[in-house]
Amino acid sequence: MTIDPVLLDLMTSVFADRGPTPHGVLDRALWDTLSSCGLTRLTTPEHSGGSGATWTEAAVLLRAAAARGLALPLAENDLLAGWLLTEAGLPSDDILRTACVLEPAGTARGVPWARDAGRIVALWQTGDGWLVADLDPASVHVTRGTNLAGEPRDDVAADLAATRGVPVACHLAEEFVLRGALARALQMTGAMESVLRLCVTHATTRTQFGRPLARFQPVQHLIADIAAETSLARAAADACVREGLTPLSVAVARSCAGHAATTVVRNAHQVHGAMGTTAEHSLHTLTLAILGWRADYGSLHEWDERLTTAAVTAGGELWALIAPV
Amino acid sequence: MKDLRAKVRAFLRSRRFVPAVDAWHGGWDEDFTRDLARHHWVGMTIPRQYGGAGRTFLERWAVTEELLAAGAPVAAHWIADRQVAPSLLAFGTDEQRHAFLPPIARGECFFAIGMSEPDSGSDLASVRTRADRADGGWLLTGTKVWTTGAHRAHGFIVLARTSPQAGADRHAGLSQFIVDLRTPGVTIRPIVSMGGEHHFNEVVLADVFVPDTRVLGRIGDGWRQVTSELGYERSGPERFLSTLPLLAETAAATGRGELPRHPDLGRHIARLAALRHLSHGVASSLQAGRPADTEAALVKVLGTTLEGDIAELADHVGAASPLLRTALLRRPGFTLRGGSGEILRGVIARGLGLRA
Ligand SMILES: Cc1cc2nc3c(=O)[nH]c(=O)nc-3n(C[C@H](O)[C@H](O)[C@H](O)COP(=O)(O)OP(=O)(O)OC[C@H]3O[C@@H](n4cnc5c(N)ncnc54)[C@H](O)[C@@H]3O)c2cc1C
Repeated sequence: MTIDPVLLDLMTSVFADRGPTPHGVLDRALWDTLSSCGLTRLTTPEHSGGSGATWTEAAVLLRAAAARGLALPLAENDLLAGWLLTEAGLPSDDILRTACVLEPAGTARGVPWARDAGRIVALWQTGDGWLVADLDPASVHVTRGTNLAGEPRDDVAADLAATRGVPVACHLAEEFVLRGALARALQMTGAMESVLRLCVTHATTRTQFGRPLARFQPVQHLIADIAAETSLARAAADACVREGLTPLSVAVARSCAGHAATTVVRNAHQVHGAMGTTAEHSLHTLTLAILGWRADYGSLHEWDERLTTAAVTAGGELWALIAPV
Repeated sequence: MKDLRAKVRAFLRSRRFVPAVDAWHGGWDEDFTRDLARHHWVGMTIPRQYGGAGRTFLERWAVTEELLAAGAPVAAHWIADRQVAPSLLAFGTDEQRHAFLPPIARGECFFAIGMSEPDSGSDLASVRTRADRADGGWLLTGTKVWTTGAHRAHGFIVLARTSPQAGADRHAGLSQFIVDLRTPGVTIRPIVSMGGEHHFNEVVLADVFVPDTRVLGRIGDGWRQVTSELGYERSGPERFLSTLPLLAETAAATGRGELPRHPDLGRHIARLAALRHLSHGVASSLQAGRPADTEAALVKVLGTTLEGDIAELADHVGAASPLLRTALLRRPGFTLRGGSGEILRGVIARGLGLRA
């Protein structure tokens, strides 16, 4: 999985001096910069005004932002809203968008960044199938909420009776969840890699009993386990990007990332001591984001359950499920 | 690669064997090994000039995965195939390669590992088995333990001190020897495991003569060589697939409604699938000749823990399977053999720059 070095340079330089954003507040200036570089609509086809890139490039971008503790609606704008518009054959532009699946009553809970969106792309089911519309936020009711990290997770209510939608294929609803879920797994692994770096730095610089914490074997093992879980989660998410999103591969990525989060967050705070629990220290911008993302697009339990179902219905062919030929 | 896997799967379906957990450790079946060898699935990475199949590490990786997943009895050739052949290729003389590699590839020459001793486990560099210079060779004296399969294997590679530890470098003065287990002076005694099985042994060496032609690599270079050997020993799919047959059986029994559903089933499958990706990375590194110590340690720490967790799960849901009994009896060994979890976490910590 290699990406164009020019693009990689661009992603590195655009985030270069950015620290974690105070959460809940969209950094509009940064968003506009990203937009002018073509990074906010990375995977949208070029004929629709996007950059025509793939999940491979999107993965690098999502991880780079997450690694710096930057909360940005990159996945929502491009991989969900932009994708839905493309699938529906609707036009798109540079307006910041989010996306959601509406219940039959026209509501969606915990929609990321709804308050900041210039348009909200909605997907919903009717008696005749699934519809997509590019909604004007003025036409919907937005109730503000936040996730654990302070990122906007707003409730949205639309008047479906008054909304005209474009029909789309019914598999898009499932694909929507898979795409959102993989995006979160990628963000989680990007943040976990930063957590690992913070832990290594802290353990090698903080001194107790006259020596760096890193000299204590229990501390080494806490961090070794962070490294192990992070690399497992990363391998699973990378595999989705490389081999394509399937219900199984995304579930694997989300299960691994979700369980990794448990160890990574717990151990990282243990290594950092009281300092890591403060508002001043940047650790929480990563750990809380990781937990917040884990709760999006399906709980950890739901992903484990999906895999459990796949296993028990494999008819004794579990290995063929894990290693198809 | 998928073709290769499909071929191995078809072969496995056509053979009669009872799928077992940990069969790479306990499933000694020389007929099965020779059958595999006839299909060129033993000694796969040995070059053709030495009677091997000249295949890649990635191809070997795929075949070993299939064998392990099926719980096939592969213990007889496992050590020779996994680590002795690569060590001979890396450090052996041409005569040694010609002597050992063709019979290994035919599935006729089996090896054991002569590293651990009563007082040297994790601290391998502290081995006390001594090799003293003799006319035309060396005299080995000492005791090796936990020597899996020594009572059936033809030879083992012994790590011994060839010069006393002098100064701070504990790794200097160690050497490796290819020792015929039927040489006079070699006494092999069974060590019975808690499940009542006889897999490992105590091997006492009393002035065992080893000719110069059976020194492996260079005298004094034993530590570097044994570390490289451990790279092969630690990195394969047998570090996460030992209990796969039990997981498969548990899933199938759950599907039939015989066991309650437990979400850990899904969790473990996710970890297996992801470990396969990590392990594939290690195999690619080995193929490219890149060092993979840290990567291999990551796979082994995660994988051997998972192997035990699978046994836990089967026990939690009340699986009534003979596989479970074996898994629970063998589980303590999963995170000890080949370098304990604690030692491997130390390897990872070193890779991260946390320790020297
Ligand atoms: C099934 C099985 C098969 C085996 N087969 C072979 C074989 O064929 N050939 C062979 O040579 N050996 C074999 N071994 C031996 C194996 O390599 C050793 O068990 C292993 O190296 C650990 O050594 P030990 O058992 O002496 O435990 P010890 O080294 O005494 O360790 C005991 C405990 O202390 C911990 N510990 C030790 N040192 C440290 C440290 N520095 N930091 C933190 N914790 C530490 C260990 O992690 C472990 O938990 C086998 C073992 C098993 C279980």
